Amino acid sequence: MKKTNQIITDRPKNLSIWEKLKRAGAKGDFAVFFMLLPSVFMLCVVSIYPFIWVFRYVCYDYNGMTSYYTGAHNFMRMLGDTTFWQSVGHTFEYAALKLVFIVPLSLIMAVLMNQKLKGSGLFRGIYFMPTIISSAVSSMVFAFIFAAYNGILNAILRSLGIIEQNINWLGDKSTAMWTVIIVAIWGGFGNYMIYFMSGLSSVPEDVYESAKIDGANGIQTFFRITLPLLSPMLKVILMLAITGAFKDYESIMVLTQGGPNNRTQVMFLYIYQLIFGSSNLSTPQIGYGTVLSLVAALIVGIVTAVYLFLSRKLDDVV
Amino acid sequence: MKIFKSQDTAVYSTKTKIVRFFLLLFMIIVAILTLYPVIYVVCGSFKKNAELLTGGTNIFPETWTIDNFIQAWNQADFATYTMNSIFLASGIMLVSLITSSMAGYVFARRKFPGKELIYGLFVAFMFINVGSVSLRPLFELAIKLNLNTSLWSVIFISAGGGQATYIFLVRGYMNSIPKELDEAAKIDGCSFFQTFYMIILPVLKPILATVALLSFRGGWNEYILPLVFTMTNKAKRPLTVGVTMLKNAGDGAAAWNIMFAGATIAIIPILMIYIFTSRYFIKGLTAGAVKG
Repeated sequence: MKKTNQIITDRPKNLSIWEKLKRAGAKGDFAVFFMLLPSVFMLCVVSIYPFIWVFRYVCYDYNGMTSYYTGAHNFMRMLGDTTFWQSVGHTFEYAALKLVFIVPLSLIMAVLMNQKLKGSGLFRGIYFMPTIISSAVSSMVFAFIFAAYNGILNAILRSLGIIEQNINWLGDKSTAMWTVIIVAIWGGFGNYMIYFMSGLSSVPEDVYESAKIDGANGIQTFFRITLPLLSPMLKVILMLAITGAFKDYESIMVLTQGGPNNRTQVMFLYIYQLIFGSSNLSTPQIGYGTVLSLVAALIVGIVTAVYLFLSRKLDDVV
Repeated sequence: MKIFKSQDTAVYSTKTKIVRFFLLLFMIIVAILTLYPVIYVVCGSFKKNAELLTGGTNIFPETWTIDNFIQAWNQADFATYTMNSIFLASGIMLVSLITSSMAGYVFARRKFPGKELIYGLFVAFMFINVGSVSLRPLFELAIKLNLNTSLWSVIFISAGGGQATYIFLVRGYMNSIPKELDEAAKIDGCSFFQTFYMIILPVLKPILATVALLSFRGGWNEYILPLVFTMTNKAKRPLTVGVTMLKNAGDGAAAWNIMFAGATIAIIPILMIYIFTSRYFIKGLTAGAVKG
């Protein structure tokens, strides 16, 4: 409350505290304080406090009840934890595969939507729909579709004669990652399409017209005009897509719980299982989980930094 | 970029027509693939369990039945789950509306010491994300404060996690409103809060509608947070947690019909809201993500 007083720039000197408070009240400083209070309080409790808390158990073995100081043991364990480093690898694999498909697809759809064809409003509404459904529930629906024995996908493929035996999409090591990625593409491409569309709408119409007069065809126009003009927006959208893909784990948790045999285990899912326990890991290992989550946050930070660096380099070249 | 344009009256060459046809075909195929899972689960929820368990290629049921819904509602606690979901989503919406409208207004209109710092913290913690680990201290805090038995703790944590986006949305919208409006109110004798409550709030309606939609959707779809908080408290689970718990329960294979009905109950309300308000949804998300 004392702080809010200081903003009065033209205040006369040597006023009593009571007088100062009265002036502040008249200017609405108390109102400002109380209007900001709920947000700042929530920020402190929900964001800042947990962030600081994470550092507390870095050197401890903590199972939710009791904690022991173990020094650098958690760090040493991390270095030798093949499951964790595998999960880091899977995270990169998942993010790369997801982005390779979702970014071009959503860009193409955005360009098509931008033609303002008849019915494109309806198409846009349909493509965007998956983003409003809970990814946990839609992942469960996909688990039904991909079910090995009575799933509808196997039934369709069998009746078309494409496969002879049922494929265990989510339970087989060779298909599980692809299945997870298909679900991720389904759930996310509409979102990025909308971002791209808002980027496209900022490209002026007459640029296209002059390109048309100059005799450029659709594909030339796209690569020579749309893409370069879109590039500032493209960078922001790509960054959102990259950081988003590295943090995904809700859908994988429902689809495979990291299985089969850790094939779809990603960093943040592994950390979740360490901290809250899972079927194959009964006691939580919170101290170790905090170390891994800091490393995971660092990895995401480095990836983002590398991306920003590369995209700036790209600027100089083009 | 005009590969084709439907309103044109010009005569198209055969090549353009073929291109147009394939593009339209592509759009339709993508649309079908997008809709398919939702149609599949909604139609599937009217199938008899025996039909679901044998599988087959039919998307529509052989015989339509609503027994699955009755069973899910009465025996599988879906009545409770639905109430919890409604409570949770409405609570998150309400808290988000109150906090983001006030904070967005203050950030747009007032200067005060530490403003840059607080604003910077909001931005920073949108990006700093240590993942699920942050739920552990909050969970332990809720237990200490005896808040873990109600959904209010989930509401505040979820609203707190999402508030930055909404604050930026309101602040951005405020910046487009002329300051003369505030000044006129002040001259007429309104205090700072009165100006907000009586003059600004009505002007903010469009953006608050967007915040309401986005936060309601966020609350309705919240999964990991309520999962953690209701791990041992079955009576407080929302739909997302209740229905996925069935899948992991072990006897899941036998209860396909309940899970289909449950998933449908979880999807339909938010889908209905979306059908009538899709324009605001899309507009709000664009503004929140790219401009925020």
